[in-house]
Amino acid sequence: MVKFPSKEWMDLYVERLKSNDIYKDSARDWEGDITFVCRADGPLKNDIAMWLDLYHGECRDARYFQNASDAPKSAFRYIGPFGNWVKLIQGQIDPLQGVLTGKFKLEGPMMKIMRYTKAAKELVRTASKIDTEF
Amino acid sequence: MWFYRSPTVVYGDDALSFLESIDMKAVLIVTDRNISKSGILEKVKAHIFSPSVETIDYIKEEPSVDEINDAVEKIGNFKPDTIIGLGGGSSMDAAKVILFRLSRPDLDFFDLTPLSYLGIKKNHKFIAIPTTAGTGSECSWAAVVTDRNDGRKAEMASPEIMPDFAILDPSMVSGMPAEVRRNTATDALTHAIEAYVSTWKNPYSDSLAREAVMLITSGCAKLHDDPENMEYNSMVQIGASMAGSAFSNSQIGLAHALGHAFGAVFHKPHGLSVGIFLPRVIEFNDVSCHDRYEEINSFFSTDLRKENLEESVKSFLKFMGLPLYVEDAGIDVDEYMTRKKVVADLCFESTGIIGNPRDVSRSDIDKILSDMIHK
Repeated sequence: MVKFPSKEWMDLYVERLKSNDIYKDSARDWEGDITFVCRADGPLKNDIAMWLDLYHGECRDARYFQNASDAPKSAFRYIGPFGNWVKLIQGQIDPLQGVLTGKFKLEGPMMKIMRYTKAAKELVRTASKIDTEF
Repeated sequence: MWFYRSPTVVYGDDALSFLESIDMKAVLIVTDRNISKSGILEKVKAHIFSPSVETIDYIKEEPSVDEINDAVEKIGNFKPDTIIGLGGGSSMDAAKVILFRLSRPDLDFFDLTPLSYLGIKKNHKFIAIPTTAGTGSECSWAAVVTDRNDGRKAEMASPEIMPDFAILDPSMVSGMPAEVRRNTATDALTHAIEAYVSTWKNPYSDSLAREAVMLITSGCAKLHDDPENMEYNSMVQIGASMAGSAFSNSQIGLAHALGHAFGAVFHKPHGLSVGIFLPRVIEFNDVSCHDRYEEINSFFSTDLRKENLEESVKSFLKFMGLPLYVEDAGIDVDEYMTRKKVVADLCFESTGIIGNPRDVSRSDIDKILSDMIHK
């Protein structure tokens, strides 16, 4: 079991993402880095960030930031409180419905995301396959 | 947590007269040439007492980004407080996007997504009056616009473009041409079936989808011998709006993802494009939602119902005179085989596949597309 959020969890996530052929296929034209921001909530005492450099179905680089404000500017940011991240990873929240219901906030060119909803779903599904401890 | 969203639906005989009770000072009507020439536009205008009415009456089928931008430019300094989308899905969808463009000229055309609050309807009332029975656009928060630069149909959506009022007057659809009737009814049936098995389904969309299937299939079966019958027209009209509301509160699925892509590449009517794929999609999805398909099949008209949903849909398509294979839709097989990769690519980018009950891979799409020709 790997604790979320942590650098170890992110590293495992990136490893799993790299071996996810459905993600590779659905994001094969995707260009743009994305930052997952997990807001302080419950046991999480400060905002953390995971920055992923996603390009043509590959994750070229990833960095973990114990303090979210240290993360670089990215094309997209997917932001939510810790409690909602738990539900997302456990499959209780759909990534797109999460935004539509205000549980998550998405920043970046929205129409681009709308053309890659399949890839977005795979990003989350990959997370849900990790044996995670919260 | 989820939502149930719907306009106020005004339906039945003389529903158009409801317009007289709405306080409108400056009205923009968005429609097409056929509606204008047929006298329907004047019939609607007779119920509008606003001193100022402007009309955009040149919306084409499957309107493009450029055509909508052109319409917005022509509206110029006219400041409507009410926008009416009058016609089929093309006119109502165009009206939705025009509403967005007039409300938020500062935003880019493709910023119309459900992912953020846009503040669209602060200064406008929005009314939809369908003259076809099928697209359900009057009850949905989606709009499909052709992006000719990209050769695709852009699926635009926001809860903020849902009409405030949907006016379903059966006199608006009783004179519908047969081809329009079969295409739009098939689109509506596809909405209902896809909403019923979507991963976003919910008790509200379920109940609407079940009733929609019953009204659409029964109404179409009866209209066959009596196409002008107001009661039967009203059944299909209400069923179509329920189906629109069902998918709008749930999601479309793979048949729509394929249909949008196929329609964009081969320029076939929307209803034909989604309907032709529906039997194969049901066959593909069956392993994931067999029981749900059995349930919804039980709501088919007994005139058209078969032992399973796939066969019932095939029977409906045959009854309506719609094709089951691409050759029968007048498409050259060689051309189809050459261009089906483009269809697959566009389909894979559609929001329709995320709510599909069974996960879809690119090879699944390729297989379905290959099965669309006679063996």
